[in-house]
Formats: sequence, C-alpha cells, structure tokens
Amino acid sequence: MKLLQCPINGIRPLSEFTYGGEYRDMPDPDTCTDKEWAAYVHYRNGAPGLKKEWWYHGPSGTWFIAERDTMTDKVSRTYIAGQEEKQ
Amino acid sequence: MSSRIAKKRGEWINRDKPLTFEYEGQQVQGYEGDTISSALWANGVKVLGRSFKYHRARGILSFANHDVNALMTDGEDTNIRADVWPVSNGMKLEAVNTDGGVIKDKNKYIDYLSPFLPVGFYYKTFYKPKRMFPFWEDKIRKAAGLGKVNFNYPRHIKPKRYAHCDVLIIGAGASGLSAALEAAEQGFSVILVDENRQIGGSLTYDLAGDPAATDTLSTLQAAVESQANIRVIIDAYAGGYYGDNLVPIVEKSGITKVRAQTVIVAAGVFEQPPVFRYNDLPGVMLGSAAQRLVHRYAVKPFNKGVVVTANDHGYRTALDLASVGVEVVAVIDMRRDGAAQDITQKVKDKGIAVHKGSCIYEAVAAGDKLGVKEVVVCPYDETTAEADTSRSVRLACDGVAMSAGWAPAAALLYQAGTKMRYDDSIQQFVPAQLPESVFAAGKVNGVFELKARMQDGRRAAAEAMNYMGKVVAVDSVKQSLSSSPSHPYPIVNHPKGKNFVDFDEDIQVKDFINAAKEGFDNIELMKRFTTVGMGPSQGKHSNMNAIRILARIRQLPVEKIGTTTARPFFHPTPIGHLGGRGFHPHRYTAMHQWHVDNGGEMFEAGIWMRPGFYTPAGVKLSAADAVQQEALAVREKVGMIDGSTLGKIEVFGPDAAAFLERFYTGKFAGQKVGESRIAMLLDEAGVMLDDGIAVRMADDQFYVSTNSSNAATVYREMQRNVQLWKMQVTLVNLTGAMAAMTVAGPASRSVVEQLTDIDVSAAAMPDGAFRTGKVAGVDARLMRVSFVSDLAFEIHVPYKAGLHVWNAVMEAGKAFGIRPFGTDAQRLLRLEMGHHLISHDTDGLTNPFEAHSDSLVAMDKPFFIGQRSLKILAKKPLNKKLTTFVLDQGFNGELPNECNLVIDSANNISGRVTSISYSRYLNRHIGFAFVPPEQTNDGARFQIRTDSGAMVSATACNAPFFHLLES
Amino acid sequence: MPLGLLKYGLSREYPAPRYFRDCTQPKKSYDAVIIGGGGHGLAAAYYLAKDFGITNVAVLEKGYIGGGNTGRNTTIVRSNYLTPEGVNFYDASVKMYEDLSEELDLNLFYSTRGHFTLAHTESAMRTMRWRAEVNKHVGVESYVVGPDEISKACPQLDIQCSGQAPILGALYHAPGSVARHDAVAWGYAKEADRMGVEIFQMTEVTGIDVKSGKVVGVNTNKGYIETNRVLSAVAGFTPRITDMVDVETPIVIHPLQACVSEPMKPWLDTILVSGSLHVYVSQSSRGELVMGSSLDPYEVHSTRSSLDFVEGLTTHITDMFPFLSNVKVVRQWAGMADITPDFAPIMGKTPVEGFYLDAGWGTWGFKATPISGKTMAETIARDMAPDLIKPFRLSRFEDYELTGEKGAASVGH
Ligand SMILES: Cc1cc2nc3c(=O)[nH]c(=O)nc-3n(C[C@H](O)[C@H](O)[C@H](O)COP(=O)(O)OP(=O)(O)OC[C@H]3O[C@@H](n4cnc5c(N)ncnc54)[C@H](O)[C@@H]3O)c2cc1C
Repeated sequence: MKLLQCPINGIRPLSEFTYGGEYRDMPDPDTCTDKEWAAYVHYRNGAPGLKKEWWYHGPSGTWFIAERDTMTDKVSRTYIAGQEEKQ
Repeated sequence: MSSRIAKKRGEWINRDKPLTFEYEGQQVQGYEGDTISSALWANGVKVLGRSFKYHRARGILSFANHDVNALMTDGEDTNIRADVWPVSNGMKLEAVNTDGGVIKDKNKYIDYLSPFLPVGFYYKTFYKPKRMFPFWEDKIRKAAGLGKVNFNYPRHIKPKRYAHCDVLIIGAGASGLSAALEAAEQGFSVILVDENRQIGGSLTYDLAGDPAATDTLSTLQAAVESQANIRVIIDAYAGGYYGDNLVPIVEKSGITKVRAQTVIVAAGVFEQPPVFRYNDLPGVMLGSAAQRLVHRYAVKPFNKGVVVTANDHGYRTALDLASVGVEVVAVIDMRRDGAAQDITQKVKDKGIAVHKGSCIYEAVAAGDKLGVKEVVVCPYDETTAEADTSRSVRLACDGVAMSAGWAPAAALLYQAGTKMRYDDSIQQFVPAQLPESVFAAGKVNGVFELKARMQDGRRAAAEAMNYMGKVVAVDSVKQSLSSSPSHPYPIVNHPKGKNFVDFDEDIQVKDFINAAKEGFDNIELMKRFTTVGMGPSQGKHSNMNAIRILARIRQLPVEKIGTTTARPFFHPTPIGHLGGRGFHPHRYTAMHQWHVDNGGEMFEAGIWMRPGFYTPAGVKLSAADAVQQEALAVREKVGMIDGSTLGKIEVFGPDAAAFLERFYTGKFAGQKVGESRIAMLLDEAGVMLDDGIAVRMADDQFYVSTNSSNAATVYREMQRNVQLWKMQVTLVNLTGAMAAMTVAGPASRSVVEQLTDIDVSAAAMPDGAFRTGKVAGVDARLMRVSFVSDLAFEIHVPYKAGLHVWNAVMEAGKAFGIRPFGTDAQRLLRLEMGHHLISHDTDGLTNPFEAHSDSLVAMDKPFFIGQRSLKILAKKPLNKKLTTFVLDQGFNGELPNECNLVIDSANNISGRVTSISYSRYLNRHIGFAFVPPEQTNDGARFQIRTDSGAMVSATACNAPFFHLLES
Repeated sequence: MPLGLLKYGLSREYPAPRYFRDCTQPKKSYDAVIIGGGGHGLAAAYYLAKDFGITNVAVLEKGYIGGGNTGRNTTIVRSNYLTPEGVNFYDASVKMYEDLSEELDLNLFYSTRGHFTLAHTESAMRTMRWRAEVNKHVGVESYVVGPDEISKACPQLDIQCSGQAPILGALYHAPGSVARHDAVAWGYAKEADRMGVEIFQMTEVTGIDVKSGKVVGVNTNKGYIETNRVLSAVAGFTPRITDMVDVETPIVIHPLQACVSEPMKPWLDTILVSGSLHVYVSQSSRGELVMGSSLDPYEVHSTRSSLDFVEGLTTHITDMFPFLSNVKVVRQWAGMADITPDFAPIMGKTPVEGFYLDAGWGTWGFKATPISGKTMAETIARDMAPDLIKPFRLSRFEDYELTGEKGAASVGH
C-alpha cells in the first residue's frame, strides 16, 4: 500500500496518514475482571488477516476506519467510525 | 593500436568530437558517446580491472552493466562502472582495488593461493586462538572492499521529480516500443524508460550481419517519435517496483518517481556465460558484448576470435563479427545437434568452421594472464558436462565470444509479486501469474522472435488497456523457435577449476559442489554460503548458472530449485539520488525575532525553536548566571516567558464537559465558567502522558492547554475519542493560531493591570481564574497560573498580536525591572515550586500514584481513560515514587546529574535523579528523584551516585521549597 | 595464510564434512520439538543437547535455516540497555558471543568495534547518562562521551550533521560488536546436529495438539509428531503459532528494513546509531555499509521493501556523512519484527503446559541468540524459567509489570 482512501478527502499518499492501531471493542470496565481488562490493554490480535484499523489523515484531521488485510496490505474499504452502513 | 572500424550506420559515437583521457597513466583517445570501456577497448587496452577475491585481470564481460569487471575511480568518484559510463575529456582514471596499478597489481599472487581459499574459507579459520582474530580481521577488511571513498565528495542533493502515466513501460526494445505504440495510439499516456542512451534494445546490436533489424528499428523509432502520448526517458533505469505501481526512474540527474496505472515490464534478458576454465580472461566476453562493441561503438572486440555457443545466438554473433572483418576461426557449438540449417549455412558461407558437440575446455592465458592466446577445444558431452580431453584441439585466437543463454530481467516482476515458472521449452523462468496491473512482454516473457516480440508488446498493452477499462482485442502470440534460446547446462567441468560462474565474487563451479557437500544445498543457503549473486551486479550474470548447477547436484528439475528473491535496486543507486534534503522543519513563535534580537539562545524544543536563556548584547554572562538572574527576577520582581508553544485546543458543544470528564482524569462537569482545572491525560494502561489546564469559557466551551511537545498527539487523541464516543463536540486546534506568554513574579500584577481593563486584583482574580478582555488593546484570554510562581498571568492573544502584546508588557514592566526568561529558568522555577514535568520527571511507565498525583485522579468518576487500569494498579504495592529533595546546605562536592542513580545500602539501584538544579534564590541544590516509597517522607535520607562514582547524600523535602528560607 | 586452510589445497577429496545432515522425514515422536530454525531455535536445540543431554529433539523450519530475521538482521550485538534486568541479560549474551566461534568451531566474525549512540538533544543526553549509569552499575563498559571523543573514533562524521542536528555527545559502549548472522545459525545447527538433534528444513508446523491444557503433539506438512514439549521460536510468525494454542500476547508485527551499499575499502571502524536521525550504520568485513532505521509505522506481515524507507535513511545518512552522496545502495530488504509494548522479549512458560515461548525479539533479538538459547533450553529441561529471564515472562503484562526498554531499543537494535 502506498496510497490510501480517506473517506472525506479521497485517495492520498500514505505519507499523509498516521496509523492508529487496530480498532478494538473495549470490555465494560465495570463488569470485566482485572485479567480481562489487562488483556484488553496489553494483548493484541497479532496474526495476519483482515482487520479494522484506525487511520488518521493528518492534513485534514480526519480519523476513519480502514479494513485492511495485513498480509497483502490491501485495503478493502474505509469509512468514518460508526458510519459503516452509510458507505 | 586502434580497433576502431570505419563509421557504421547507427553507431553511438560522434566522430566529430574526439576526446582524450588518461587510464592508469596512459593517454587514451576516444569519441564523445564512447563509454570508458569502449574507448579503452578501441585503443587495445583490455585489462580494465582486477577481480574482487583473486585479483585476476579482467576485461569486458557483459558490457551491459551486468558485471563489475571494470570498476574505476577518477579520484572524485569511486566504483565508476566503466562499461556504461561515458568518457569525458581530461578524465584521469584508475582501476579500483589494485595495489600498484591494474597491470602490476601486487595482490595478483592471491590467485595462486586460491586452492587454499575454499568456498567460505573465512568461516573455517582465523578464530583460533581468539586473540588472533583482530589481526586476521584487519587483513581481511583491508583486502575486501572495492574502491576508496572520497571523504571530500560534496553533498549532492539531486531533485526528486514526480510523474504519472497510464502505462509505464520498462525497456524500449522491440516489445516495449510496440507496447508503447499500441497504448499511445489508443490515447493512453505512456512513459517508456530505457537504461541505454538510445532506444531499440537488442535491435541496436543483435543484427546477425543483416541490416534488416536496423530498418525495423528506424520504423519503430519514427512512429514513437511522432506519438505525443509517449514520453521517452533514456539513460535511465527503473530502480525497483514498490506498492501501488510506484517505480523510481533513476537518471544521472536525479530520480523521477513514477506512479503508473499499469506497468509493462519489457526489460529483456541478461546474457549468461558458458562456464569453462579461464572464461574470465580479458578478451573472453559475452556474444552480446561483442555485438555491442561492434554496432554501437564501431570497435572490433578482437582480431581473430572464436565463438563458443550453446544456442543460436552464437551464430548471430559470429555473423556480426565477420561483418566487420573479425577473423572468426570457428563456432564451437556445445549442442550435439548444432543450430538450425539456415543459420549454420550462413556462418559456413563466411568461411567459418562449425564444431558441433564441442566445447571450450579451457582458454589459455597470454603472458601474465592479461589476455587469451588460444583455446582448447574438446568434444563435449551435454549430459555429463564433461569434455573429452583425449581429443583436444588448440585454436589460436586473441578473443572469445560466448553465448549460452539468457536469464530474464525479471527483478521488477518479482518485486511486484509475480509468480514465475520454468519453461522447459526455452529453459527460462517466465511469468506464470502476474499481479493485476502489471504485465510482461518480450524476452522477459519468454518471447524471442522479433515479430513475435512486437506482437507480444501489443498484446501486453492491450491487456493493460483492458485492465484500465478500455475494451480492446487481445491477440495471443505464437512463436516457432527452432531451438531453445538457453541451454539447460552450459557448464564444462574442469579438474583445475577457475571456471567462473560469478565474476563479481570469483566463484567457480567447484565452490558450488563443495558448498553442497557441506550441506548448503538449497538455493538460499547456497547463495549465502558461496555469496553467489551477492556482489554489486546482484547475480545478473550468475544466478541462472548457479541454479542450474545446484539442480544438477541435487538431481532435481530447475523448477524445484526456484530462484532467490530479487530486491531493489535494479542497479546500485547513489545515496545522493535517493536521499533528499534533510527536512528538519522548525516552527517559530510570533516573538521569535524578538528573542533572537535580545540575545535569546535558541534551541530546538520538539518542532519549535525556543530561547533557553538570554544573554543581552554587550553583557558578559555565563549561561548559569543568566539562568539564575532570570529566575531571581521572577522571584523578586517580574519576568516573562514566551509560552506560545503550548498546545491550545478549544472544545465546544453540548457534550464538551462530558467529553473532558472521560478524556482526562479530573472533574469538569461542575467546573464554573471562568475557572481552570488541571487536565491530566493517561493512556489505557494508566501511564501519564500529558498535563495541561482546562478553562471553562462557557457552559459548552472549554479552552485546554497541553505540554508543548504533546500538542499534536493530544489533539489527535481527542479527535479519535470524539468519533469513538459519538459525542457532540467540536474541536479546534489553536496551537499555531494563538500566541501565549506568562508574566510571573510579585510585580506581575502591577505590570499586567496597566495594560488591561480586566480586574486583576487578588480578590477579583484568584489563582486559577480565567477572564477575557483587552490586553494592550487586543482581545485576550487571561489566566492566573502558578506553575513558576505564586503570582503569574498567562496571556493568550491571536498570533498576529503576539509581538505587540509582548512588547507592551516589556515596556510596562521596565519600571519593575522585568526580564524575559527562557526555558532553563522555567525549569528551575517550577522545580522550586515542586512541579514535576511529564516525560522529564516521569518515564514511559510512570503512573499517577508514583508521581504523587493521586489528587488529580477522580477515581469516583464513572469513567476516564486509564481509570480501570489505575484500579488494578491501586491494589499493587508501589516500588518507587517521585520525591522532591535537597542536597545538604553548603554542598560543594561533585554535583549529581540528572539520571544519576539512587543507590541503597545494599548497593542496589533504588531510584534515580530526574531533575536537579542549584537555586540561587534558595542557595540550595534541589531536585526530583524516584526513590522507594518510604524515602519520600520529609527528611528521609538517600544516596545518589555521581558520574565519577562519589556518593552524595540527599534529603527528601516537601515542596514548594521556599520553607527552606525560613529555617 | 593460516595452516587450517592447507588441507583444502592439498587433499584430493574435499576435506570438510556436512554441517548438518539432510533430514527429511521426522520420526513419530521427540522429547522436544522446536518450531523455527532461526538462531534462537537452533541455539535452544544446541543447549538442550549440550547442557541437559536432551538430544531427541527436532527443529522444524518451514523454509531454510537462518532464513528468517536471523539472516536479515544488521547484527549489532551490545548490552547497553536501560533496565538492570535487560543489561544483565544482554551482557550474559555478549560474554557468550565472545567465545562462541571457538565453541561452535566456526568463525562467526564476531568483531568488537565499539558502539556509539549519538545524542543530538539534551533529552537524548539524559537518556544516555541514564543508560551509562545503569550499565556501569551492572559492570558493563558504557559511558557518556563528548563530540571530541566521537570525532576521534570516527573523524569522517560531520558532528554538526550538516547543521541539521548537531551532535552533543554519545553513549559509548566498548563491547559493541557485529557478527556474521548466517554463521551463527549454521554454527548452532552444525553442533546441535553433531550431538543428535535433527533439523528439518521445508517443514512447517500447521497446528499444535493440546489436550487438557497440555501439549501432546504438533501437526506439520510432513505429518503428526508426538511430543510433550514445544518451543516456539518463530519471531515474526509468533502470533500465528500462539493462535494455535490460544495463548494471548501483546505481539504485533511491523516490518523492519535495512540496506547495504557497494563494498568499499574500510573506513568506518565503529558502529554508529542516531536516534534523532533514525539511522544506524556499520561497515561489514566485506566493505559494505550496513544501514538501517526504525520500524515501519504500521503492521504488515510481509517482507516487501519501501522507497520511503531508503529515501529517509539516505537523507539522514548524508546528514552524518555528506560525502556518501555518490556511494551506491546495492540492495534493500525487510524482516518481520515481533514487537512488544515495552521493547523487551517474552520468554518462558505459558498458560499451556509444555508450550514454551521465545518471542518478542523485535529489532533486537540477534544479540540475544546465545543467552536465549541457553535459558530457554533450561526452561524446557526443568520446566522452570531461570531467574535471568523472569523479568521477561509473559504474565508481566497481566501483572502490569512491564520492563521498559523502549528508551534503549527503538532505533539502536
Ligand atoms: C532488518 C533487521 C535488522 C535487525 N537488526 C538487529 C540488530 O542489529 N541486532 C539485533 O540484536 N537484532 C536485530 N534484529 C532482530 C533479529 O534479527 C531477530 O530478533 C532475531 O534474528 C530473531 O531470531 P529468531 O531465531 O527468533 O527468529 P528467525 O530468525 O526469524 O527464525 C524464525 C524461524 O521460524 C520459522 N517459522 C515460522 N513459522 C514456522 C512454522 N509454522 N513452522 C516452522 N517454522 C516456522 C521461520 O521460517 C524462521 O526461519 C533485526 C531484525 C531485522 C528484520
């Protein structure tokens, strides 16, 4: 990947973006155990595959989600978090 | 003696522009358009270099930048590739890596030691006893390496250019030119790149004595020139293939980064040498090299030569040689069945003898191995690769042209992810599965006949256009080769070896056999153990033979051996081309020039330039004195610091307060308008990331500051969480838009009140209060702060007004003895106040409990980032804690430095100093340190070890430290 | 000419034996199976055999030995870390390396050249002092030096860095070394094989059989192998293996890239690292400059190269050495680095009985090859991790007891 599609600004060179890590659902802090919380904080799904990731387009200040295969580095789609259906 | 022949049609030299240069002390004539090697060869100079390991004399091999036999230096540049580098008037050249000149090279004795230097010899010795290794290593290091670097070479920064196109075509031979025409004719934009100085590829030299190819080229060339859609870049190579069709095109003048919709690789093939003893003598060269000399540079490769071949190409070479009057003694064909009837006949018609089923068993060196004087020809058994030496014939000659086959120039295809397969019918790797938007055409695609190559170029272009959405017919390409262009095993065994496979690295057949005997019998291990293909030409002339040899050793089909990975760069690429100008961007505050004009010692603070301290003009002041004086001014009178670098973020909207409650550790819901609160940010693990101040400007509006170095990251994290938490909040980053300054000290109120309509009296504006109004006639935000002193005002104004307000404050402060202060004094002042700095006094694992910041975390809130982790951490005993400390009164020993360690009575590390400073105001040394929790109590003693190892006692001491003055 | 080479010139038969046997089909069962024939896996096999007499061991390598990060790394060996735990651990490795050529009877080209971590900012200087102090405490030769001393060791270095980022000082680390990476793998393979360990190349583990929380065997492309003890030493492939046993780790994979120049006559005698400029460089015994940078910014499971990387690296290298403009980069490549949040490894036991983990080597694991092999062998043999590696246990993350090597490991592998 050398180009990335920002849902607001279109296709831009990768150098304009910052990687924000995998999008992960937070466990309910009130009900989860300490162990579950520690796992959420520290552990990662490190195996290759299609992942939902946070990406940030710097010049416009836009966060969005990219669905990317971490093996082939191909992005299948991008959207603003929570607006997945609208795409 | 000149080997230059009469002017030829299509030659690349300009006979009107003769020039002179020097090689190894000898004057040499050439023409504009000559490469160094062609000019030397034309003058009968055939020893162009010495080999890397054995220091054997070497001449032209590929003459195409597929080997590094001829590496030279002109004293300025090193490792100049003489085969392809143009000559210029007055050059003074020498071969690299010789001791005493290329002819007399004192290191040539190493060739005689070669029996004692088996493959990987350096793994086998030099390490016993251990202490001898440095001695040997020094010798090895000196022997290794090619040219010497010129330490005075200027830093050349070549411009980077950018280009876009529909179709990028790499290689302007018959297939590449045809592809370009096909795409351009349909209206697509084409960039066509070729590393040669003229387009045409093999059409410029592989003529078989027949000018028909030259006519074809002229037609293609004229068609390409008339196409406005085709941009031709010559004398330039595609350095590599990178994701999303990014290909850097490397020219002498710099790199053009081409981003193409589609890429067609039509890069052709590299000729591969047959392998026989002494195939490396000067005068023994590849057939295509001989053809290039003849047709491009009008130079006879030799006068009386032999052609050895394992394909039909040798016959074509023989015809080309004969066409310029070289006496070709014989064509030695390693194939039992020889070549097709018609071409054999053509060669015979020239009076050239053809020996089928024969090989050169060895070339025989002329004096001191500087050239060839004859070859030993024997019957050859293709299945065993053995020569029948009982029936040898000697043929006198001064040169050999050799052809055995080709390897695809597929590096870019590999880099793009192409899967290759081995095609037995042509004994070559060809693309089996190409990535979408990448195509291959011509010889690299296994298509050899001229007509078929032209069709294949058009076919590839048609496929590329279909990929881009234009529906065009794709015609399949057929060729009817009478024999394989490459031989499956063009190797001649020889008990005495020196039958070279890799000329860069001096690797001979037995090296592979022995490597396999030692267990390195898969291609990757063999490559690493023998170093085949690891030299500067990256296996262009050697990898294919290495694979064939290994396949034979393992008795496996070539396909099963596979290839090694071809990494960028296609040719070694200068650092100055790749690198750009080092951009280290700085930001300047609105008051920057004022600082500079008033003696500010500016330093880099993250991306900003800030004054560390000021030495006003005409004043003699040490840095330490300057800092102390500035700090004293704040303690006793008034001082001002430029705080514009603070991050400044506005948070608006109905959810603004709720957002800050979740984002920061403190409470903001109940915060009154006009009040400020500390805003501390943690990460999810509970580690302290930032602290700033949040001011409530309205019910739905906050103005938040962050540490200077964290402005961008905090803003970014805010943005992410607004989206994630789906809150009705708008964020505006005002960091660059607002200037800020802090006026601090007992007289600060008196200074500020002169400039503003805001009531700044103690009653009206207590610590932490926030007001808006005019300051020096400008709309301003004014805040009572206490980071560096009990009484201080932070003034925020639009960037443009920054300098005006700054000047106004300086003017108003004159009467009170105001001084500007820099970041060094700020550090000291906040230390006196007992405020830690995040990431200076804390590190990447520090949590608030360790930093005495419990009071800033509202554990009773429903949620904030890091809270859940803090709940876990709260149950664990702390093993270190930050404390403020003093050194003993009147301390005058070696002063501890920041990061000196705290050492306990058992001589273990129990902590470290994170800040330490002398305070003239207190006349004490004060600081912050991590210590075991029990040592944070006021009065606890601990020991700090200085740089030199001395132990210094320190005492934990409550802060602010001003109580020390009372005792 | 050393005498050891004479036999090669004089004997008729090639006098060197195979380094290791050509094993193709694994047996039905082994006392221990090691996944990954990189330096770490092979070293663990060697020390299992040598220190504990456990020789019924199979090393399974899906490609060829040393073909992972072992064969891609830039071979810096040093112990000037930041935490006492880290310094002790890496120091033990450095000491082993010093005698390793003799022990493995193979020249590893272990070359002690001294290592400078350049500081261009005051805050970097503070970190250097911190490391120096911890190093000294543990008995490792590191100290902070000024620009003059750096210039003395490397007169060609532009201390002003072309005015971009003047060098204020450095952490000097005398034992800093480089070595031949392949040879380390081959040497361990050779000696492990000699003691009976079987090394299988082109043999991929596709599953791990766990029954009632205990390892009972592994599935491979060459069939099922029974075993009660499995070591995963697969660096960039770790998450794929830990997923097979449902063990969670913090490891993420980022590419790490490097490149080499054309060979030139020796001039750079030391190893230089600059955190601010994100580069490090040394000159190999072949004369090439070996250069690298920091991690790629996002997760990718491939070894593709990028142009950004070389552009950035060469820009900064010319800040340091302006005259290199016309020296050429021959080749660039990448490895897949297994990164942990605290830049320290993960070693030892896991929640699955009989499944041992040696991972999280990121950009810094080559230097640890001997000591990790030795300590993992002990962990497997005794089913208990030795004290030296306890700080690196997997459970430290659940316990919020991270090790904190980030300050020493981010660029200077
Ligand atoms: C560019 C670069 C530069 C570096 N520079 C340095 C440096 O200067 N100093 C330093 O100390 N460290 C450095 N490192 C880090 C170092 O290379 C690694 O940490 C170290 O080599 C890891 O060794 P290993 O044996 O654990 O892994 P590897 O050598 O990667 O071996 C793991 C092996 O496991 C195999 N494998 C994976 N999955 C399976 C499976 N399912 N079945 C069978 N086999 C499998 C792989 O094929 C591989 O061969 C660098 C790394 C890179 C990429």
